[in-house]
Amino acid sequence: MNQPQSGENANVLVCALCTILIVSMIGGSVLLNCATRYNAASNQVRGWKEALHAAEGGGDIAYAQVRNTVMDPSHAFAGWTYTGGVYANTPVTFGSNLTTSSTVDIFYYDAWNGNPWYRIRSRGTAPVRGLKRTGMDDRMLTGSRGDSLLRKVDFNYDHFIAAYGPSGDGTSKAIIPVAQPQITRRIEQVCAPITPFEAAIKCIGTFYGLGDAAMIDSFDSRNGAYYFAALSPNDPHYSDSRSGNVEIDTAVATVRGWIYGDVATNGGTIVRSQYISGTIDNNVPFSVERYYLPTNLPLPQPSPAAVTSTVIITPPAAGTEANPTLYLLSSLSGQLTINSFGSQKTYVALHVTGDVSGSIDTKPLVKAKIFVDGNMDVKGRDIINESGIAANLQYYAISPTDPSTMQHININPPGNFAAVFYGPGADVSINGNPDLTGAVVCKTFYANGNVSWHYDRELGLEGDAVDYRITSYVEDIR
Amino acid sequence: MKIAHSTRNRLGFTLVETTVALGISSIVFVAAITASIGLQKSFNAIDNFFATHMQQIRIIDYLSRDVKRGLIVTTSSDLQSVSITVPKYIIQAGDPEAVANPSLIGTPRTPTVSYSRSGSQVNYGSSTSSVVYAISGQSILRTENGVVTTIASATDQLVPQWTDVELANTEYTSTTVTFLPIFTSANATAERSGTTVCATAYLRNRRRG
Repeated sequence: MNQPQSGENANVLVCALCTILIVSMIGGSVLLNCATRYNAASNQVRGWKEALHAAEGGGDIAYAQVRNTVMDPSHAFAGWTYTGGVYANTPVTFGSNLTTSSTVDIFYYDAWNGNPWYRIRSRGTAPVRGLKRTGMDDRMLTGSRGDSLLRKVDFNYDHFIAAYGPSGDGTSKAIIPVAQPQITRRIEQVCAPITPFEAAIKCIGTFYGLGDAAMIDSFDSRNGAYYFAALSPNDPHYSDSRSGNVEIDTAVATVRGWIYGDVATNGGTIVRSQYISGTIDNNVPFSVERYYLPTNLPLPQPSPAAVTSTVIITPPAAGTEANPTLYLLSSLSGQLTINSFGSQKTYVALHVTGDVSGSIDTKPLVKAKIFVDGNMDVKGRDIINESGIAANLQYYAISPTDPSTMQHININPPGNFAAVFYGPGADVSINGNPDLTGAVVCKTFYANGNVSWHYDRELGLEGDAVDYRITSYVEDIR
Repeated sequence: MKIAHSTRNRLGFTLVETTVALGISSIVFVAAITASIGLQKSFNAIDNFFATHMQQIRIIDYLSRDVKRGLIVTTSSDLQSVSITVPKYIIQAGDPEAVANPSLIGTPRTPTVSYSRSGSQVNYGSSTSSVVYAISGQSILRTENGVVTTIASATDQLVPQWTDVELANTEYTSTTVTFLPIFTSANATAERSGTTVCATAYLRNRRRG
């Protein structure tokens, strides 16, 4: 009987094993190749997205500082460097080795209200993990590139600084090595000031008013003087006549009189809706921040130091919205007249560290802002705005250091007036039946008379910044 | 006399054995070749799937980048193309600033502010750039101020939707991109829908127009 030798059988077994080995190697290399390139591409996508998150995070950090300029001026840009008109912070690291840095500068002063507009430039850098290799791109079409046109990875050097310079303006170009492969993205955002007088009356506490025969309507002084058009749909200024809005941040609201505009409360119930021409929304919570004296005011004039009798001021220069002539007064209980600088539009600011009980007469070309640390007790006839434009006489009640300190603005009869009042910490009371043009922002509001209240739509652009919003966003895609 | 035969001489392959061995070897060889070809096809399919998936992401990322910095975004009625107006952040040859001072070419613009009845707005130069995404055959083209870039090929069904939600004070685009993989079964619709990539991008600019 023939007995096969084991060495002869192994021939087939070895062949089979080799075949399996070869096939396995092919399969392994297939998976390895696919997965590696896919992982490299995925890591680049991840880094690209994370770089934007980092840049936007840096933008948020800078935006918080911009808001601090009005909400917490003493701490705005604390820890930042200031060189050549530009604030800069040290790079911040967070998340999975993301870094971000920002610069902030004022690029424009508002033509209407003098408030600064801020430009935030921020950049975010994210590491690109994995192998130093291109992703699954650049083989898409002959002569066309894919990912590398979109996602610019710095494998060895920072391509942006090499090609465009650190500021992107072509200066100071340099070959800067990078510690590890990375992606950097750069964004630029613009912060615009939010002005306070967006409604006829804005109240964060209890509200009562006006009288049953009172009326709130609106007009636009840029179109000419006020006249009643709220009931004349064919009037060319009808569309401007129904913006006498009232905003109340509580449910405790007694709204009376005719309102040609919208009414908003925070949980209130409007029962006299037939007297309201616009929208009623009882679910509009909002907040009004404390008000601080602006930090960008110039040095005050040496005199007068107080107004206790008749005083006439003629500023030494016309000034500008952003740079008015400032007077520092310890009290204002007399009669103050503010003249214009020649025939020029003249910008004046008063800082009254005490109470205001006297009168102010601003001449037609004068635009005055009065910052008051204390209380105001005046009559309507004490507010003499000869231009008739409410924006030309602005009162600001600076919030008391101690929030529990009461602050009030009382306006009593007789007299009509045109002015605006911003007092987020003040209780406002208007008595009598004045015809007034303007707007009020206050803590609580009370008015019991048949007031004829005309909100000037131009006021939407006027006033000191009370907050900032991002209005523009661009990315430097180079 | 008995002739002695060695064991080795008696152990030869018969014709049948050889034939069977060749047959088995052929089967194994064919199986190996078939497996190799199959793996190669699989490699191509996987590679193509991954590559196309990356193109989907690229389309989304391109759109997202442009929508975020856009001032206006509109879509065609068949939802197969998107037009975006973006600020001209970089000074380019031929721009008024560049004509006055050629050294400014390639530098970022300083924004300006203008006022209208509806309020203030930020401008980067006196004009804007136009970016259009459109499907052309099996490719998706991005055209910026007349310059065409193919950003993806063999990818289709770009379906952007533009929604204006004034109450939410925002606007956004919602984009869906699908493709048909190489390996499909009879139900191609399901095969395609399984590759769907969706994204939503919000316009960041307050200015509209």
